[in-house]
Amino acid sequence: MRRAVAPLLAVTVALVLADSAVVTLALPDILRNLHTSVAQVAWVLISFNLVLGLVAVPMALLFTRSRPRIFCAFGIAVFASASAWCASAPSIEVLLAARCLQALGGAAALIGCLELLVAEYGERRGVAAWVTAGVVGTASGPVVGGLLTQAFSWQAIFVVQVPMAVLAVPAALAVPVVPMPSPDRHRPALRPNLTLALLSAALTAALFLLVLLLVEGWHRSPAAAALAVSVVPVAALAARPLARRLSPPDEVEVAVGCFLIAGGLVGLAIPPSADLAWTIAPQALVGLGLGLTIDRLTSQAMRMRLPRVQHAGWTISARHIGVVVGLALLTPVFTADLHDAQVPAQEAITSLVLDAPLQPQDKIAVARALGHQLSEQRGQVPDLRPAFATLSLSPDERLAGAALERDLHAQLERAATRAFRDSFLVGAGLALLALISVIAPRRRTTS
Amino acid sequence: MTGRPHPGSLPAVALVLVAGVLGVQVAYGGGTFEPLRPADPCATRSVTSAARGIDGLSERLVLLGIDGAACRLHVSREELTLELAQPGTRTDAEIDALHAGLLSAVQRMKDDGSLPPASELVDEALDATDLNAFLEAAIRALPDSLVDATLKTDDVLSRTIDNLDLPKLLTNVDNPSELDQQIDTAVTRAVKESLAARLRDLL
Repeated sequence: MRRAVAPLLAVTVALVLADSAVVTLALPDILRNLHTSVAQVAWVLISFNLVLGLVAVPMALLFTRSRPRIFCAFGIAVFASASAWCASAPSIEVLLAARCLQALGGAAALIGCLELLVAEYGERRGVAAWVTAGVVGTASGPVVGGLLTQAFSWQAIFVVQVPMAVLAVPAALAVPVVPMPSPDRHRPALRPNLTLALLSAALTAALFLLVLLLVEGWHRSPAAAALAVSVVPVAALAARPLARRLSPPDEVEVAVGCFLIAGGLVGLAIPPSADLAWTIAPQALVGLGLGLTIDRLTSQAMRMRLPRVQHAGWTISARHIGVVVGLALLTPVFTADLHDAQVPAQEAITSLVLDAPLQPQDKIAVARALGHQLSEQRGQVPDLRPAFATLSLSPDERLAGAALERDLHAQLERAATRAFRDSFLVGAGLALLALISVIAPRRRTTS
Repeated sequence: MTGRPHPGSLPAVALVLVAGVLGVQVAYGGGTFEPLRPADPCATRSVTSAARGIDGLSERLVLLGIDGAACRLHVSREELTLELAQPGTRTDAEIDALHAGLLSAVQRMKDDGSLPPASELVDEALDATDLNAFLEAAIRALPDSLVDATLKTDDVLSRTIDNLDLPKLLTNVDNPSELDQQIDTAVTRAVKESLAARLRDLL
């Protein structure tokens, strides 16, 4: 059991931070299953990040006045119970309440796990384990969530968290001696926390928008989308050996990471086609950037600052408020662009139907079925397959009908891709702002 | 001898990676992956139809007519088609543009020789009408040269377009039987007027 303590605590950190984006690929399923609206379902993502961002620092303050093992174990237990509640939520309101409770417990667990990992591993290794677990969790959340949704259901995302977190409760209580954190002596590190917030907003663009583009825009299955976005965590893992080989100064490493994320987001904004292959290289850039920045910035924000938990609280707060700001900035941009994309998409569809090599009466039947389908699915990227499924074309025309269906599908993919472009570019702009915050000259301090 | 890597190594690697990825994407058309843009309706477009006979002729006429109307209204043909597919009343400008567009489509088809002679359409037209059997047999017996000399396709089409109540026609788009009846009436009247005019010319 003793050997499993630290890994279980690290897994708990990864689980809590994975929850930040784990439901991204499950949102369409939750939308259908709980009969809710797009605006409400987005709060499944926002509520968790908002609460985590708001309570991280107060939790750290509370931690300094509590018994660390009990505090941490209690936080993990609340997180586990709230995860079970999320899985059994019968309505969107209940799910949102459970997500808020999950974030509250998660914040306590994150703060507590940091001190317990330091107690287990020592200062340097303990902080490194906590930071690395957080990066792995953040990057792999959407992948794991997508695979679980496809294999089982959206509820499975929360169910699998329960036993892991439950195992971590005795692990937290098993840590022998936890030194009490020292009283506050240092102010929060403004610059690394600001950069963390801006990068988190940009990474939200990368993960959240890409997943939406793949599932809603290009009609890929959650599993295919999950596999596609797995490039980000894999590339993030590859970043550390690269940095070790080239051993740049910390600021250079973070600045390069910001630049790579910005470059990757520009790449995602301009794919040459709707082939998943075109998202791999831009995602690899984003993943490399993530691997070079998040852990380095988190360490910078906590380095030589006491009490450690309070500065850890500031980093958690910066990251999750950054995610919320990213969602708040990007959601109106892409929903407006998606709305604006309807007219060019309809015109492209009209053009192809008018020129299709079909009999006039079949063209009229196609137009009627498509019109019905488009008005049924107003406000989202329509799936035109049902319109063609209802048609009865003569054997001579079936090939032409299939070609028309393919061409129309391609036009919708083009329209959706175009609609996401500005949002990805806004994300790239956020990453460049993060870069500026790194390279901006520091104010001279007079002695 | 292995030295410490240059501090600029990582930025250089990053620059190469980003430039490489974006360069390849742009080279393969990244940034231009957008929906089909509507073509200029005023530019000459070749129009084909999968149908033969009267259906094919009607389809080509309508497609060219919508192009002409859209050109007059300074909108794309797709925009005009979507607008006309919506329920509601049409503006005078739309009706006038559609009328003028259809007439210029007849002229264009006549000029490029794509209008079939009347004799090619007579049998199909007779199949679709409910004429007296003797009269139908008599018309079928007429030599093609006589039919073509008596009835000019462009003249019949132009008169049909003039006779059509376009606002009513557009409200009947979703009602095929009403639509067919309205067009049959206009064509029959156009044929009679064309024959009468021909007789007047001969006399």
